[in-house]
Amino acid sequence: MPNQNISRGVVLAFIALAYALSALRLPIGDFSQVGPGLFPLLVSGLLLVIALLIIAQSFLAGSPTPYLNLKNIAVIMVSLGGFAVLSKGLDVLAGIIWLVLVAGLASKSYSWMRNLQITVALALIALAFEKLLGFNLRLI
Amino acid sequence: MDILHNLAFGFEHALSLQNLMYCAIGCVVGTFIGLLPGLGPLATISVLLPLTFSMPTDSALIMLAGIYYGAQYGDSVSAITMNIPHASSIVACIDGYKMTLKGQSGLALFTAGVSSFIGGTVAIVVLAILAPTLGKVALLFSPADYCALMLAGFFCVSFVTTGSLLNGFAMCLVGVLLGQIGTDIETGTQRFTFGLPSLMDGISAVSVALGCFGIAEITKNLDAREERTPFNGKIKLMPTWSEFKRILPSALRGSVVGSLLGILPGGGPSIAQFAAYALDKKVSKHRYEIGTGVIEGVAGQAAADEAAARTSFIPLMSIGIPENAVMALMMAAFILKGIQPGPNMIAKHPDLFWGLVASMWIGNCFLLVLNVPLVRFWLSVFKIPYSVLFPSILFFCCIGSFSVNNNLDDILVTTLFGLLGYIFMRLNLDPAPLMLGFILGPMLEEYFRRAMVLSRGSFTVFLTDTFSAILLTLVAVFILYQSGSSIRKKYLKRAGTGAVQELEIAKGGA
Repeated sequence: MPNQNISRGVVLAFIALAYALSALRLPIGDFSQVGPGLFPLLVSGLLLVIALLIIAQSFLAGSPTPYLNLKNIAVIMVSLGGFAVLSKGLDVLAGIIWLVLVAGLASKSYSWMRNLQITVALALIALAFEKLLGFNLRLI
Repeated sequence: MDILHNLAFGFEHALSLQNLMYCAIGCVVGTFIGLLPGLGPLATISVLLPLTFSMPTDSALIMLAGIYYGAQYGDSVSAITMNIPHASSIVACIDGYKMTLKGQSGLALFTAGVSSFIGGTVAIVVLAILAPTLGKVALLFSPADYCALMLAGFFCVSFVTTGSLLNGFAMCLVGVLLGQIGTDIETGTQRFTFGLPSLMDGISAVSVALGCFGIAEITKNLDAREERTPFNGKIKLMPTWSEFKRILPSALRGSVVGSLLGILPGGGPSIAQFAAYALDKKVSKHRYEIGTGVIEGVAGQAAADEAAARTSFIPLMSIGIPENAVMALMMAAFILKGIQPGPNMIAKHPDLFWGLVASMWIGNCFLLVLNVPLVRFWLSVFKIPYSVLFPSILFFCCIGSFSVNNNLDDILVTTLFGLLGYIFMRLNLDPAPLMLGFILGPMLEEYFRRAMVLSRGSFTVFLTDTFSAILLTLVAVFILYQSGSSIRKKYLKRAGTGAVQELEIAKGGA
């Protein structure tokens, strides 16, 4: 993996280019009659310059390789995505069960009993949110 | 006399049973979450912001302010007793933790509690006097002045929070670009929405905050896998009279420093703490002992911390421009409640403004009671294992993003921001400037367009308007100074490495 400075510069340059190219498709106008594309184009242009400066800096000074624990972030993303999908398709309760059981995999030790207890506690909290705070969670 | 009258009016509002209750809840919840490892005021406010949607406006703002300064204080308790610093309590670790190691954690906590109370009280007086005056001045600002003010804010926040002007400013710009998603208010054109109807109203600030500060922070903490040992030491809270006398001068100095630095763009608790600590190291009677675990090392920074937390409300409420990421979140809360903070806010909603100011002092009293006698109870929070905490926080993040529009799809947007926030954190890009850019982006564009229309497309307007010219000159000087010093540092480092290499070659030769 490239060093932190290069990765940082590349990610920022990618964001800047994506925005600049989309902004070019919008009416730009001129400075006295600013169109919807002009401001994002200016900002993304400035971001691109900074991204290139960061990349240039990386050649002058080394930096460590960024640390990414792909397992943890993947587990958290799947647990949250599953919560949204299951809550929509089935019920929020099913979403809570999925969230706790899957997110638990990112923990140091996995305990079914502990996760079951957390699920029950969160279901009760969700019920309190619905009944007391007026959240529209559509629990069974 | 006007101020006294206004404060009395504010207390009338803040002392209603409902507002008292919300202020107390805010302080308790804020302290609780602030104590948890890895969750500072930003994450705390973003997780709890959606809880306030169903509340009356004044109560919601009072509770959020309570959460903010509660979290700020909770942070310093974990720093003093367990040496767990968050961004906002790094200085508290230096002398505070050393006092704990000496067996004086009770004294350190008492000092922090009382100093915070003093700092908060001084700041409220400053807030009550300055905010309305500054509000009147802000009415004279032109669109170009507002643009320059926001740019100066971006630069200051970038430097203060990340230490690197380039990285921080880049994050501000990413935030500004994210704020562009949605419908253009002037022409009605869809921008960067990919044709998705859910993006037509733009991305919710709650989704960005929960993703970048809640989910990303949790995942980062899970990566660290550190074991925290709960604090089990003895706590003797009450100091002797001579110890108590040592608290006052430092706390007062810290209050003044904190109140002043809290107002400046990019200022806020973190920088105020460092400044107060540095001042104490220069002028305190016990300056040579600071750093070894003494009262003065805790009192000044704790007072500055709380004072700056409160005076940082001044630019938000009087000019309508948040000066740091926490205030940007508070601004989002104001807007969600249908209130536009700015010069007209105090005149239009005096009950809200003065009620909030008065509630800050009441919150101060709550914090004193909560944190000094009840500190033992709070320390038991550390006994909750992280494996129990993090699924619960994830659940609150989900409920929070859902509750903004009662839309489950928003959770997916929040999840996406969680991933983005995590990648940014791993690339050493702080998401705090992103939040400020995101909130201020649409405003910056609006004022930029206005300035351009008024000047018929000429950029000279930024130099002909006095205030804007002064601010932009200061920014330019700051950038030049920063670039100069970083080039000098690199040169010295290279020269240093070269000298070492020469020495090694010489040694090898010998």
